[in-house]
Amino acid sequence: MIIRKRLAAGACALAATLAVGLFPVSAAADESAQETPKVELVLDVSGSMGTRDIDGQSRMSAAKQAFNDVLDAVPADVQLGIRTLGANYPGNNRVTGCKDTAQLYPVGHVDRTEAKTAVATLMPTGWTPIGPALLAAGKDLQGGNATRRIVLITDGEDTCGPLDPCVVARQLAAEGTNLTVDTLGLVPNDKIRTQLSCIADATGGTYTSVTHANELTSRVKQLVDRAADTQVVTPTATEGAAKCSTAPLLGAGLYTDREEFSEHRWYRVNVSDGQELRASVSVGADRAVNNDYGVLLQALTTNGRELVRGSDAGSGRTDAISAGLRYAWAPNSDTPVSRTVCLEVSNSFSAPASVKTTPGLPVELGIGLVSSPDNPSDVAAFGLGRGWVLLVVLALTGLLAGLLWGWLARWRVAIRRIN
Amino acid sequence: MRTTTRLAAAALAAGTALLAGGWTAVADTAGPSPSADGSAPTEAGTTFRTATVLKQGQTGTADASTGDYLYWVFPATAGQNATATATVTLPAPSTRHGTVTWQLDVYDGLRRHQACASGRPSRTASVQDTTVSLRCTLRTIRPWAEPWSNDPLPGAYYVRLTVVDLPSQDLGLPVKAEVEATAKDAGGSKAADGELAAPLTPVNQAGATLDPSADPSASATDSAASSNASSNASSQPEAVQAPGGDWSPGWWSDRWVWTVAGGVLGALMGVGGYTLTRHPRRRQAGQV
Repeated sequence: MIIRKRLAAGACALAATLAVGLFPVSAAADESAQETPKVELVLDVSGSMGTRDIDGQSRMSAAKQAFNDVLDAVPADVQLGIRTLGANYPGNNRVTGCKDTAQLYPVGHVDRTEAKTAVATLMPTGWTPIGPALLAAGKDLQGGNATRRIVLITDGEDTCGPLDPCVVARQLAAEGTNLTVDTLGLVPNDKIRTQLSCIADATGGTYTSVTHANELTSRVKQLVDRAADTQVVTPTATEGAAKCSTAPLLGAGLYTDREEFSEHRWYRVNVSDGQELRASVSVGADRAVNNDYGVLLQALTTNGRELVRGSDAGSGRTDAISAGLRYAWAPNSDTPVSRTVCLEVSNSFSAPASVKTTPGLPVELGIGLVSSPDNPSDVAAFGLGRGWVLLVVLALTGLLAGLLWGWLARWRVAIRRIN
Repeated sequence: MRTTTRLAAAALAAGTALLAGGWTAVADTAGPSPSADGSAPTEAGTTFRTATVLKQGQTGTADASTGDYLYWVFPATAGQNATATATVTLPAPSTRHGTVTWQLDVYDGLRRHQACASGRPSRTASVQDTTVSLRCTLRTIRPWAEPWSNDPLPGAYYVRLTVVDLPSQDLGLPVKAEVEATAKDAGGSKAADGELAAPLTPVNQAGATLDPSADPSASATDSAASSNASSNASSQPEAVQAPGGDWSPGWWSDRWVWTVAGGVLGALMGVGGYTLTRHPRRRQAGQV
């Protein structure tokens, strides 16, 4: 019906969609205050960086070259900082060596010459305390709701223990929203690769292995640009409850949460008649998990009747598994009422016993409320037919009608003649 | 009702002209228009939230590391058969250590995994191979479906490209990826009726936890700040735009031709049938 009216009016469908979507958008107005993204480059300046195996030059000079190029091309709207690890303590004391991390250039809008001068002074020196450096970098980037990114460049694994840098990274990501750690391994061996990819996976970042100087430059540049480009919506942190009655009441928008293995989390959404609820959920695999996994998103009434569910399962390497659902209350009276829909998110991830289960897996929940009813109609477009059977049926009907009409006319003429 | 009749009358009048082949021109304008304008994206997103927006017919490229999860998002609307094609240029064979398996996954705007009706969404490359080509064609997108179904609906479609199986030494090696999203009109046989309230576009606003003690109807109105991309398009320029500027599939399908032709044929046969019954009488009249 709507389509037909629109057609008759000659209005294009875009206008109609706009009209449908045009109701007060007060809540969306306050999201414009987006802060400029923050990036911190964390560079390993340990003794092994002196090894000359990147295109004939030392790892350190390749890194310096990359930093110079990156500093030249930093986008204006990015706050950049530089932190070093193992730059100052050349000795053999493990305790002191494992605390050796310093901020070389504070996070802010970059003065290129100053930053370059600071980088030029670096000499391969000490240990590789990745864990403490990540913790400190997390602190450097604290504050505000900007997108935060740490780019870690190293050529050795953390031998400082007992602080596992992978656990540190996961905790950093769990504490605040929107922190990503990207890692680059210079001429990596198996151990470095495992550790760095674990750090990257824990925060939704990427891992790159570097064997050539130009690869290092282009990748670091790409990651800094990516921080500037991804002016995406920062989800709001929420905490789902163990049952619906105490669950947080959510409006439309994006949310993040953490959910442990096999945990169930509940959320509530008020959906009025004539509104459609659209919910999607992604549960991230930010650590080593077993091969098979799944996610279930259920919409239930307050007394536990299932309305609709979305689920997915998978196996093998993955970053996340996601599911979605949509639901609109069937209108049962003339006066529209608002009723509560309970959303239950559960996952069937599992992990080997050695893997820590806290903090939980990252959950991203998207809630959409669309304010107009669906228009289910005939199966075929405009109820039109198609195919040879249709033609034969119509033709035969026409023929039959013609014959009948003709005979009727003959019969009437005959009757008239008799009279 | 009157408009329907007027429309039907207009369609009938146009029917014969359209039959001659003029309808193909109309079908072309209703179909996807590959936009060559604007530079193609050279980066890929790394999550659903950061997915790079592609237009239909546009090719997105990205430099990435083996093991990255690369995301793109493109629009597709009812009556289309959408296809995502990916070509991955693998690292130099000398740096690799074994076979790798790449996979292309397509999700709809609600992040529901969508089945590939045809194509090879997953492929294993040996050490000698330099590229891997993947393709996934979705089922025909319906204009409407029940909430309980998993049918593809008008809206955004996410493409995820990643390596799913690899020797651990190959993790992090540089690769180049190229992804193209295209869509073809599925034709009148798939032209269905019905309309979705709004296309399944991604939610692009931060959430706001509401006060549970507040009046439920009031809070519902607050939260009604729509997730509809078109209503806050100004603040979200990157949002997924409808292919050809319109989410509705348009009124045209070749069902009009079939139905009008059927009507015309029926009418002709009616006249024919009537004439058949008149003949003997006319013959008789002639003899008398």
